[in-house]
Amino acid sequence: MVAGLGAWLATLPRPREWPSSVVRAWRRSLHFRTIAITVALSGTAMALTGVSVSYSVGNDLYQSRLRQALADSARATTSTQATLDSADATDPAAVQGLLNKTLSSIQTATSTRLVAVFRAPDQGFDPLAPTDFTTFGVAPGEASPKVVSDALREAVQNGAGKQFYQSVTLTADDGSKVPGLVVGSEIVFPSAGRYELYVGFNLSDSEQTLAFVQGTLWAAGVALMLLIGAVTWVVVHFVVAPIRLAATTSQRLAAGDLEVRIPQKGEDVFATLARSFNGMADSLQHQINQLAELSQVQQRFVSDVSHELRTPLTTIRLAGDVIYDQRATFPPATERTAELLHTQIQRFDALLSDLLEISRYDAGSAALDLEPTSLVHLVDDAIEGLGGLVGDDGSAIRLVAPGGWVEVEMDPRRIRRVVRNLVGNAIEHGEGKPIVVMVDSNESAVALSVRDYGIGMTEEACARVFDRFWRADPSRRRTLGGTGLGLSIALEDAALHHGRLEVWSRPGLGSCFRLTLPRVPGSDPGESPLSLPPADAGASAPDELIDGEVVS
Amino acid sequence: MGPRILVVDDDTALAEMIGIVLRTEGFDPHFCADGSTALECFRTAQPDLVLLDLMLPGLDGIEVCGLIRAESGIPIIMLTAKSDTADVVKGLESGADDYMVKPFNPKELVARIRTRLRPSPSDVVAEKLQLGDLSIDVAAHEVRRGDRVIALTPLEFDLLLALASKPQQVFTREALLEQVWGYRYKADTRLVNVHVQRLRAKVEDDPDNPKVVLTVRGVGYRAAAPTG
Repeated sequence: MVAGLGAWLATLPRPREWPSSVVRAWRRSLHFRTIAITVALSGTAMALTGVSVSYSVGNDLYQSRLRQALADSARATTSTQATLDSADATDPAAVQGLLNKTLSSIQTATSTRLVAVFRAPDQGFDPLAPTDFTTFGVAPGEASPKVVSDALREAVQNGAGKQFYQSVTLTADDGSKVPGLVVGSEIVFPSAGRYELYVGFNLSDSEQTLAFVQGTLWAAGVALMLLIGAVTWVVVHFVVAPIRLAATTSQRLAAGDLEVRIPQKGEDVFATLARSFNGMADSLQHQINQLAELSQVQQRFVSDVSHELRTPLTTIRLAGDVIYDQRATFPPATERTAELLHTQIQRFDALLSDLLEISRYDAGSAALDLEPTSLVHLVDDAIEGLGGLVGDDGSAIRLVAPGGWVEVEMDPRRIRRVVRNLVGNAIEHGEGKPIVVMVDSNESAVALSVRDYGIGMTEEACARVFDRFWRADPSRRRTLGGTGLGLSIALEDAALHHGRLEVWSRPGLGSCFRLTLPRVPGSDPGESPLSLPPADAGASAPDELIDGEVVS
Repeated sequence: MGPRILVVDDDTALAEMIGIVLRTEGFDPHFCADGSTALECFRTAQPDLVLLDLMLPGLDGIEVCGLIRAESGIPIIMLTAKSDTADVVKGLESGADDYMVKPFNPKELVARIRTRLRPSPSDVVAEKLQLGDLSIDVAAHEVRRGDRVIALTPLEFDLLLALASKPQQVFTREALLEQVWGYRYKADTRLVNVHVQRLRAKVEDDPDNPKVVLTVRGVGYRAAAPTG
């Protein structure tokens, strides 16, 4: 349990990261933001209310205490004056005794020990006059106690018997400072003249009441804030939960799970949201299914057409060949016709099989037939098979194989087709210059590149070279009579192996096609062992020093 | 007249054209346009070889192939418009010796027919061969395990004989294609795989654990050494 707490604490951000983690929480969490705003606003409102309540309670307490103090003081003064008036003391000791008696009766009447009596100045010496007396406590070297300020005394001296008061800080017995009130008034000794009477009141009990009220307000405020926070959390949770559900549902829908829906409950705004979302999902699913069906119908159509064309094409091909075999017995024009018929049937045948192959890719029904194969041997065989095409232009094909002898799982039929295609293209566009085929391998991939030094292509052409039925230059002579689908099929073959087919080309400097296949079927081939652009990217003919086997 | 060939194809134009090509080459073609009557035609024509279209009205080519195989081991060449693995393998498993994908050219067709009709390779000197616990009588075209005769089609016999004539030598699939099927160029090695499976099903005690025709991984097949 302790360890669990420790682990939980360890996940918390360090104090240095708090500001940034708060900013992150603010940006990311609707919960956090809503709770923070609610608590901050209600906290401000409560603080204002608390301050004003505390102020008015404090003020009220003070006022009532003040009224009481003034009343007490007035009553004491009146009764003292009455006592003084009725007394007839004529010697100093009797007057002093009278003063002491009145003071103790004031202390009793006002229930305070703090009483002071000073003889008002501006009166001549009177032997009867009793000495000044105070229980306030006078600092050494002071004429009168500090709490009874000169201003108050002056006001009392000139006040013609009125009451004056002043808020002060009293020092309690234990030395602590407590708030207090000093009320001053004038009394007159019939025999000894005017005296100032000061009565001090201790307000610490009022202050304690105020402190208690304030403490209660604080506690209530904090508890209320926590409660508001918790309530907000719960409310936000209830509001956010359906939004979260909608968000995850949309994500799943976007990821292709077309069956997913939001459960519809009740009649509220979330039910409306769920209804509209589900409606959208329904229509999306319907549209996608329709599109998929259409696409399937179209693919099946292409496949069916190709198959249906095959039987009559077989008849035509047989017939064409029979006629072609007897062309020597025909007049010259008919003989040429037979030749044309023969070659065009072959072209048609090639086009049809390529079309069928493409339709198989589109339908996703192309499957790999893996066999351990050495890429070098496969390339060697494939080039040998093309030997017959090289004749006219005399472009020698050179095979350079620093690596790639290892047997790797691949579909030899497809890779052979890719090689034939790339080399065929190189012959067609190589302008009779030698063609270099390189094979190499590294720990993750085997690769082959077919480099020609012929007319090359512009960058725009490079970008489109794998497009179906695209031709670099429509006016060019077609030596091999390619179908225009060869490179598209080669690209699909490479992709089916999880491999890559890439091209580099510069006008006038030739082209280089590179096929990279993973060594382990289905894995990522990673970096290709052959470089693209090729090492001799700027050369217009192969380096004679390249040590390779001249295949044809 | 030369060898009799039964052409089972519902496309009359193609059948007629194949007939013309075959007659030119000295064969004697017979025709059948419906899968359901194919077996009848086969019985009346008594052909030396059957060209069988895969898609037929009535019974399809694969069923017809099975019916003919049940009665006879004569060579059957499938004609198919589909070169998809599944269709080809199904056709071969039902007993066809070879297949041709439409459109084919006449020379190829004739070459394949001749390969299938030629007598077994005569370079085998010995009259009797021993292969594992099998004994092969070359002249009688007969394979025995002990006293029991194992019925093989001519093609299966040729395949077994090719392997047995040089025991312990490993044959690549390509070499077998050339020697047994007469292909001179790279062709579909699935032909070899399927026929080796069929051969094993007949000659092995446990086809999943072959003792007679052994696989050499990554290369091809070889025959076991003679025992006993």
